[in-house]
Amino acid sequence: MDWTKQIGRYILVMILQVLLFDQLQLLGVCHPYIYVLCLLMMPITLSHSADMIIGAVVGLIMDIFCNSMGIHTAACIFIMFIRPYLIGAIVNDKDRLNEQISLRSLGMEALLRYVVILVVIHHLIVFLLAAWNWAHIGFVLVETLVSSLVTISIIIGYNSLRYR
Amino acid sequence: MQNLLKILLRYSNFLVFIILEVAAFMLFSYNNAYPRSSILSTANEFVAWQNEQIADITNYFRLRSVNEELAAENAALRNQICSMDSAEKRDAIHYEAAKVVQMTTDQLHNYLTINRGSVDGIQRGHGVRNADGVVGIVRTVGQNYSVVLPIINTHSNLSCRFTKNDYIGTLQWNGKDCRFAQLADVAAHMVVNPGDTIVTSGLSPVFPEGIPVGIVENSVLKEGESYYRIRVRLHTNFKRLKYVEVVQNAHQEELEQLENGLD
Repeated sequence: MDWTKQIGRYILVMILQVLLFDQLQLLGVCHPYIYVLCLLMMPITLSHSADMIIGAVVGLIMDIFCNSMGIHTAACIFIMFIRPYLIGAIVNDKDRLNEQISLRSLGMEALLRYVVILVVIHHLIVFLLAAWNWAHIGFVLVETLVSSLVTISIIIGYNSLRYR
Repeated sequence: MQNLLKILLRYSNFLVFIILEVAAFMLFSYNNAYPRSSILSTANEFVAWQNEQIADITNYFRLRSVNEELAAENAALRNQICSMDSAEKRDAIHYEAAKVVQMTTDQLHNYLTINRGSVDGIQRGHGVRNADGVVGIVRTVGQNYSVVLPIINTHSNLSCRFTKNDYIGTLQWNGKDCRFAQLADVAAHMVVNPGDTIVTSGLSPVFPEGIPVGIVENSVLKEGESYYRIRVRLHTNFKRLKYVEVVQNAHQEELEQLENGLD
């Protein structure tokens, strides 16, 4: 697997995230974290532990940019932890996967399920920890819904363009 | 022991997950309780710088248009107030919003340049004010720009009056502090208290009556002198002057001709 390609994509996505999507403020409820694209689209060649460590590093960098120490780190570690189990549950034919997570290897239905579940979990953890209060649960849910929709559309759009 | 190792190996992924999550939550709670660590604050400085750049670029343009709109609106509102006023003299007054292009405050002879000129109907001798109070008098008029002699110029003389008893004095500047000016020609028989309000007198056609100038900071009457030395704190903040309004009095020329004809 070409890791320079992965890192290049990560840098591009982070630039987009920081310069564009972090500036976006739609009624205060739209904070899409498109950087999870890199984690979700990462091939499953590495060990489970290595995946989680990469998730921690990616989350920590995002935390530094968001000034929200630990929140993104925790969310990223968690989605990297459940990722292999989710793939196991969604994909029946592991051989077809060929270690790649993409529209081509998964098919639209499985990809959509995979992306929706992980993005919603990630966004929910991030917004819950940021709110740190059950009193804001309604707002957190709306925020999660709106932001996840944007992030999911962008990840699916990226896949449809890249792996047609 | 072997069994324990086996179990650890078997659940190694889960262990890694727990350790990482605990570390993340420690970071989270630590950051909530204490200031950021030095490594992360340096990084945040970069982030803050980056944010400031973006905000500077976007806000700057927005602010500029907003300010210009507000300045124009202020001028329009003042015009409305003037037209509502029944005094015939005020009917002739028109306010023109202008932006300060260049200005000095730390010299004896300070001047400021505004972005309105003869094209906009500005003439030498027109008064200049801002929302807070008096600024100065137009000295030189170009086609699109004018130079204003502010009240913080040692050449400046402005007729003022106390609001409490309409006593007249002349506002001058000693060249030291742009926040304060000096009021001359106030005779010793008058009682001057700190906090007295001073406004334009309306005796000259340059300014209409009652534009705020400042308040008395302190007053000294030395023995053997018949005039006070009064220090006036100016309402106008010259250090931050950005938008001004030029007072155009349609009767100014006529009045000045009449006054000159007396000599």
